[in-house]
Amino acid sequence: MSGRARGGRRYLTGPGSMLRLPSARIAVVILAIVVFLAIFGGTLAPQNPLAINANDLFQGPSLHHLLGTDYLGRDVLSRLMAGTRLSVLTAFEAVAIGLVLGGPLGIATVFLGRWFDFAANRVSDALMTLPSIFFAVAVTAALGNGLVQAMLPVGILLAPNFFRVTRAATLEYARAQYVEAAELLGASKVHIIRVHVVRKVLPNLAVMTATATAYALLAVSFLTFLGIGVQPPAPTWGGILSSDLDYLNLSPWAPFIPGALIAITVGALNALADAFRDRTGPGTLVLADPVIKTHSTLALEAADDRQPAA
Amino acid sequence: MAVAELTSAAGAIAPRRRRVRATASRIGGGLAILIPILVLSSFITYSLGALSNSNPAATILGQDAATPATVARLDKALGLDKPLIVQYWDWLTQAAQGHLGTSYFTQIPVSQSIAQRLPVDLSIAILAVILAILIGGTAGTVAAIRRGGWFDRGVTLVCSAVSTLPAFVVGIILVVVFAVAWRLLPANGYVGPTGGIFPWLQHIILPSLALSLQVAADIARQLRTSLVAVLEQNYIVGARVRGLPYRRILVRHALRNASGPALTILGNDFPLMLAGAVAAEAVFSLPGLGQLLLEAAQTRDIPVVQGVLLVVSTFVIVVNLVVNTVLNLLYRSSDGIAA
Amino acid sequence: MTGNPPPDEVLGIEDLHITVHDGAATAIRGVSLSVRTGEIVGLVGESGSGKTLTCRAALGVLPPGCVISQGTISFSREDVTDLPRRGWERLHGTGMGAVFQDPASYLNPNLTVGGQLAEVLRVKQQLPRGQAHRRAVELFTAVGLHDPERVFHQIPAELSGGMLQRVMIAIAISCDPRLLIADEATTALDVTIQAEIIELLLDLRDQRGLAVLFVSHDLAVIRELCDRVVVFYAGEVVETGPVDQIIERPSHPYTQALLRVASVGDYGRRELQVIPGQPPRVGAEIAGCRFAERCPAAIAACQTGPVDLIRLAPGHQARCVRATDPELAAITAAAAAARTPQTPQAGQAGLDAEMAAR
Repeated sequence: MSGRARGGRRYLTGPGSMLRLPSARIAVVILAIVVFLAIFGGTLAPQNPLAINANDLFQGPSLHHLLGTDYLGRDVLSRLMAGTRLSVLTAFEAVAIGLVLGGPLGIATVFLGRWFDFAANRVSDALMTLPSIFFAVAVTAALGNGLVQAMLPVGILLAPNFFRVTRAATLEYARAQYVEAAELLGASKVHIIRVHVVRKVLPNLAVMTATATAYALLAVSFLTFLGIGVQPPAPTWGGILSSDLDYLNLSPWAPFIPGALIAITVGALNALADAFRDRTGPGTLVLADPVIKTHSTLALEAADDRQPAA
Repeated sequence: MAVAELTSAAGAIAPRRRRVRATASRIGGGLAILIPILVLSSFITYSLGALSNSNPAATILGQDAATPATVARLDKALGLDKPLIVQYWDWLTQAAQGHLGTSYFTQIPVSQSIAQRLPVDLSIAILAVILAILIGGTAGTVAAIRRGGWFDRGVTLVCSAVSTLPAFVVGIILVVVFAVAWRLLPANGYVGPTGGIFPWLQHIILPSLALSLQVAADIARQLRTSLVAVLEQNYIVGARVRGLPYRRILVRHALRNASGPALTILGNDFPLMLAGAVAAEAVFSLPGLGQLLLEAAQTRDIPVVQGVLLVVSTFVIVVNLVVNTVLNLLYRSSDGIAA
Repeated sequence: MTGNPPPDEVLGIEDLHITVHDGAATAIRGVSLSVRTGEIVGLVGESGSGKTLTCRAALGVLPPGCVISQGTISFSREDVTDLPRRGWERLHGTGMGAVFQDPASYLNPNLTVGGQLAEVLRVKQQLPRGQAHRRAVELFTAVGLHDPERVFHQIPAELSGGMLQRVMIAIAISCDPRLLIADEATTALDVTIQAEIIELLLDLRDQRGLAVLFVSHDLAVIRELCDRVVVFYAGEVVETGPVDQIIERPSHPYTQALLRVASVGDYGRRELQVIPGQPPRVGAEIAGCRFAERCPAAIAACQTGPVDLIRLAPGHQARCVRATDPELAAITAAAAAARTPQTPQAGQAGLDAEMAAR
């Protein structure tokens, strides 16, 4: 699954080099299809995803229903295609919230002085320990049952990850000699951040964004699976999975289709993150979200934790 | 013979006691960090109620009885007329004594419903942790000892596959295979340990397994990496040259020193396991905290939502503290982990 | 060194060949040596000459990828060349102990040093916990550690290098082994502590009849401590003999160069700066003498075929075609003097030449 580069490929640079990894190319194709479905899925669906057909319950795959039908005789393929948009959009929502909250703050904290940095780090640590799924469910109690509301805390709890990544990268580059040189030459801080730091931080942000999107997508599927944020007839990936589960005895193979769709998309995002990471080089990344699963980064983090807190 | 070696001042504290003190202070430091986290998370939790536009009094009284006068009276009775920060403080001090308020609808004390549901999640979570350590620990250890062999490659492959599968998908697969296809185990429901150990295990083994697989994969991967590194250390050669049996070296010297990063992962994965527990409850129809939270969220039963969140956050934070303490006990020297 | 081993032989290595990198290169070729009860044998040679690999082989803990391809190793006249893991577990500790250059890295960093010593006593001698503790404290006292009760509860990071080396020695001798293998055991220590460790080893030999295989690249230490010396060069033994003879009348040009280096400047560190050239790569196939390329006294005969060890005196052998040539020492001394015309070495070189002439 891992898209680690082998041999000489590791040293390739340039914008297209990442795509030379087969796994990265496959991942990009998969993600392009998913995005395409998110935009056009609803209109391209071969049948009405909501049309109930009492004569065709629990059909297996056929020419007419490529992926079969569900417990109300609705076309599974059409439902999956139509369900893609909400799942992907709300995942993007959470990632965007995290990126907007965490990214700029991660850069700013390096330049805003020791006390601000200390406080920001403590708050970030605090947020990181909170289980986001529980808060997502809880928020729907306060703000009303909607996926957009539910993904709000997911996004907020993603922010510390972006904060940490950008802060670490900024710290590294802010001390680089050419930045100091620019400062000596009289460049303003804003200019330095815009020109020098942001450009260097971007690769690390890209890795984090891919990883976070994978996580957010999982969270969306999970929340919709629990029935959070959607009204029953509307199709979502998790919702389809959940209804399949109620009729396991009648069609035990059904949950594998939405399950595979979720797993493949998440896997593609992780592979992409791996490919990005190979390009930015090992060790430049500091990830510490307990929930987000990227194995190589967890090892890195474990290595960090070993340093005495002092 | 030796004269000038002992540089430390005579009469210093004995090393053992000093180490106990150092450990205690590190745990104290951990607590000092965790308490603000707890305060912060509980404040966020409490503000959720205030954020909601819902009017508790009106919700409780129902459409018909809610006149401005009755609402105002109930608000006063519930303390909802005070400033938010005062309300929060009252709630927190009550919570610290175990009083989490009462449900708006059932009038059952929140702590009581939580106490009723918690054993379900605890059973699953504890069994899942045990399974994750057993499965992941064994796989990681064997892979490290026979690195490069077919078992090693198999473990790597399976770990990659498993970690892309979310717990609820794994749960569904397990239900399909073991409960629906083979009819070996019950597909849903819960029996407490008072109903017999065996039926209890029968009901929690599948959800626990579903929860544990991802964590087991993480543990296996991390343990393999750090064990390979530790086995190359000089002190392993040192232990061999002392004539210690292989198994003892592996367990007492290698595994002990290699288990730190894997333990950190276990601690880090714990929130994920709790989320997975909610999924497992849904897949296996278990009456746990997650179901309580879902029902409360749907009915906007704010005290229940707040109570569950507080308990879950506290739980996560305490687990983190425990993991850090164990790490401190395992690693007496700051440069102690080799990996 | 063929024929029947003497009855009191503790370690016997016969025609040892070791391949490294999974057989890609031969790092040790035809090494033979023996250590008898109560004898301290020194191994000298520069880094990479195969001293450590030989020790590892004698201890049965060769690094991964290294294999004994030929030859035998015997311990107390029992062949241990292909001993299985269980056999080594029995032999280690009770038969042989070992001390290494960097003692801190050979101790588990997370366990107290006393705990690690007591562990050995409990496992190897089945001592109960309390007794093991008492015995450990006794041993710590015996190796000259002050306040042994305190040291018992300390972890390696809290002890100095000299103290750690004493701990290592205490662990190594805890089960009364017949042989101690000390691989660069004093190299990283400062001179006064080095002297104390040497004294400790001499005491142990005198009290317990311990046999010691002492690896060092420091001839000054070897001279103080050892009864016999084995000189390694590029995976071969180039000279072996009683320490006095080797020091007084070195017969191999490499030994002569080593001695000359050792008597210039600070010990051990600068040997290669003075012998011109580099030793051959590990595994390099060379038809004749492996030192010929750097040897000031090399002649055509050196390159033609393998050179055997030549017996010069009882127990004194050298691997040099000109070992018996009376002019050899003078030639190498002159070459050394020619290379170091500047001050302050000039005077020293003159002395060397004088010494060699005697």
